[in-house]
Amino acid sequence: MSVDMRDVRVGGTSVRGTLAKRIVSPTDLGEAARIVADAAERDESVAFLGGGTELGLGYAPSRVDVLVKTSQLNRVVEYAPADMVVEVECGITLAELQRALAPHGQRLALDAPYPELATVGGLVATNAFGPRRMRFGTLRDLIVGVSLVRADGERVRGGGKVVKNVAGFDLPKLAVGSLGSLGMIATATFRLHPTPEATRVLRVAACDGPMLATLSRELFARKLEPAAFVAVRNEARASYDAYALFEGFDSGAEEQAVRFEALARDRGLAAERIAEIERPNELDEETRTHGDVRVRVAVPPADVVALERDALAPLARALRDAKTIVYPALGVAFLSGYAADVAAAGSALIGARSVAEGLHGNLVVTDVRDRTLSDAVDPYGTLPSSFFLMQRLKERFDPARRLNPGRFLGGL
Amino acid sequence: MLAVDVFGELSAIVGPKRTIVDPAELRTYECDGLAGVRVRPLAVVLPETTEEVSALCRVAKTHGLPIVPRGSGTGLSGGALPVDGCLLVVLSRMTRILAVDLENRRVRVQPGVINLDVSRAIAADGYYYAPDPSSQSVCSIGGNIAENSGGAHCLKYGFTVNHVVEATIVLADGEIVRVGEAAVDPLGYDLIAAVVGSEGLVGIVTEAVVRILRVPEATRTFFATFPSTDEAGACVSEIVAAGIVPAAVEMMDALAMEAIVKSTGVDWPLDVGASILMDVDGTRAEVDHTANAAVEIATRTGAIEVRTPKNDAERALMWKGRKGAFAAMGRVGPNYYVQDGVIPRSEISKVLREIAAAASREGLRVANVFHAGDGNLHPLVLYDARVPGEEHRAETVAGEILRICIRYGGSITGEHGVGVDKAVYMGELFTDADLETMNFVRCAFDPERAFNPGKVFPTPRLCGDVPGTYAPHAVEAAGVGRG
Repeated sequence: MSVDMRDVRVGGTSVRGTLAKRIVSPTDLGEAARIVADAAERDESVAFLGGGTELGLGYAPSRVDVLVKTSQLNRVVEYAPADMVVEVECGITLAELQRALAPHGQRLALDAPYPELATVGGLVATNAFGPRRMRFGTLRDLIVGVSLVRADGERVRGGGKVVKNVAGFDLPKLAVGSLGSLGMIATATFRLHPTPEATRVLRVAACDGPMLATLSRELFARKLEPAAFVAVRNEARASYDAYALFEGFDSGAEEQAVRFEALARDRGLAAERIAEIERPNELDEETRTHGDVRVRVAVPPADVVALERDALAPLARALRDAKTIVYPALGVAFLSGYAADVAAAGSALIGARSVAEGLHGNLVVTDVRDRTLSDAVDPYGTLPSSFFLMQRLKERFDPARRLNPGRFLGGL
Repeated sequence: MLAVDVFGELSAIVGPKRTIVDPAELRTYECDGLAGVRVRPLAVVLPETTEEVSALCRVAKTHGLPIVPRGSGTGLSGGALPVDGCLLVVLSRMTRILAVDLENRRVRVQPGVINLDVSRAIAADGYYYAPDPSSQSVCSIGGNIAENSGGAHCLKYGFTVNHVVEATIVLADGEIVRVGEAAVDPLGYDLIAAVVGSEGLVGIVTEAVVRILRVPEATRTFFATFPSTDEAGACVSEIVAAGIVPAAVEMMDALAMEAIVKSTGVDWPLDVGASILMDVDGTRAEVDHTANAAVEIATRTGAIEVRTPKNDAERALMWKGRKGAFAAMGRVGPNYYVQDGVIPRSEISKVLREIAAAASREGLRVANVFHAGDGNLHPLVLYDARVPGEEHRAETVAGEILRICIRYGGSITGEHGVGVDKAVYMGELFTDADLETMNFVRCAFDPERAFNPGKVFPTPRLCGDVPGTYAPHAVEAAGVGRG
């Protein structure tokens, strides 16, 4: 793994540059709720800190009176292997959770970056995903229950511990991606999947944008079911290396691998088998944790060629040492690099965003270190027309605007 | 009686033919799939466009009429049951499939489109729409969105909320708003999650974009019989423990099988205690492996007989039997009450025994047909409405079943919704603060609670800090009772 640990601001005392006045680290959920309730009484603002791996998201909060570190809230609350459901406290890391599940041949089907650092609370708050999204979706598709500490300190829950449940409004999914602005994510309950018996990873080197689109289309046309299909930009060769990951029982994974080799051959390319089974996952992490400016771009999957040509390539040229990973079948890409020339980086970011928005997509700046650049480029871009409903939700959940105030979309 | 001016305003929008106020005609709309509860709406309107729905909501607002949206009216929890004095907005004429986008795997539909028609429209291209409630040949996408419908195959593929990516909704003041994004990750809060499963409490969906999936390369089905539901339950648990993710696993007990055999003519044996119907799907070699492994597990866990269909027609017949289970109940009892509860899968055997005990205490029988893979029970409480008191005893049993589900850490509904039928149990599943928080969501969309008042929440809930004074509608204050 080549993760640059200098980029992880664990134990930080600020959120997007806003210094926390006080940092607390509760040891149980009751204490966490009391901290939030006390803050409410004093009209103090509260923000939450997990592994600190996504602190670059959003705007600088207007104030952080109390920063609640969740690292000591790391228990497995309930794990029923026979039901393939687990409830955990927010501060447990993804890797720790996976280690608890592994002896039972189960896993949370989520391969987000920084598993040793990223906490469940943070993963929920940011709707995390990795390359296996192709098969399993994002955290939104895996969560079945949540308990929250509300702005007033009240502990509430939604969903439950069974996978199938339509009783009441879907608070778990509303918490997903809410960036700590609706409440503290205290515990989360997930559906689990079996750990596959076998894995095959294949690489097709030197693809251009149109070839990525072709391979993606062919995967569907031939009814293959990869767990992941991602393409990593090789800047030196000005092309992409595409990786397909097949999981399942041994005979099934092998058959898919053989058919993928045939698929590549039919296009005049060679699919090479890669030994390291976690490869696409690591490549994804490398890109998403690299550089001093990072973005996530999403467009309709059919527009992936335009995305690559008109948004990603120019942006990569404007940054030093750029890394790019594309999920061609999903129309999603991550790009990171160093803003050596801040003015050029700024205009390239704005240009790439305008391309993405022109395709009915979006570009989110997920991290940016340079203050000038950060001021020049909005983290989110054009607000959705439904933003007024989001404002109304925020007003209901947090009427005094004390939860991570100003950090989320549109300054919610 | 409807004031003439309101009729005039409604019919000015949708025309007199699509404005129903005649008491005889209104009768059709007095109830949905929830048997035994009827409330006459003030008026029924049948809009055909988003703009018409918007204009209708403005009229309702002007006159202070509650609004109840309705799709095909097949819901089993009373979600589309009128409330007294309401404007019932029926979306069943909005049946156009607006766009098929195979490259992005999306279909844009109007809310009245029938679930199965989405799959039919794309079948030739090798795609399908995954959520498959048993009523899929008659229920509408709009209703599926309101209820977050599931179905047998949601075990592997997820529920409606996992397949709707964009919705156009009309709010109570007539405002038209688009939530979600057709093909990309939307920014901000997950408003789709707020709308899907909201049971008609936040707005009227007038257009939706749904994800479609590739039809899997291979599907293997098998049907196995067991001495009792204990062995059948153990079989399901072992299959799951072996790392197999079935596309669907359905279980039926002896009484349910008897009804299905009598009703559909499938040649299932009647001298067994339970059966399982299971699908695995995926790529060919993977499915060969999982199907063989599952059959082996069935045999090992005590299956009396395992049948695999020889062709698609045989497979279709097996599934027809399962999906026709509710309708078949008339063969074993004059009336039945469909319950919908969820329990952790591993507790199936214990819960079934408790349900049987609860029924026998009231002198009734329960047939069980359920989605065993995810612990979603559908006990069918059989009764004879002609026998005084029996209907009431059936309701007692049905209620007791929900309490059993709650006690085992499950839920009071896996796919039918809360509606009016189960609102009273919400307070047993959730705390007051939980419900208050859910009410935040509703109030953000509909601060005056014009939509579907009296549903889902056990007691009328105010929205608070809304500018101006709000008087709850008489119906909401009184609650909507059962008939």
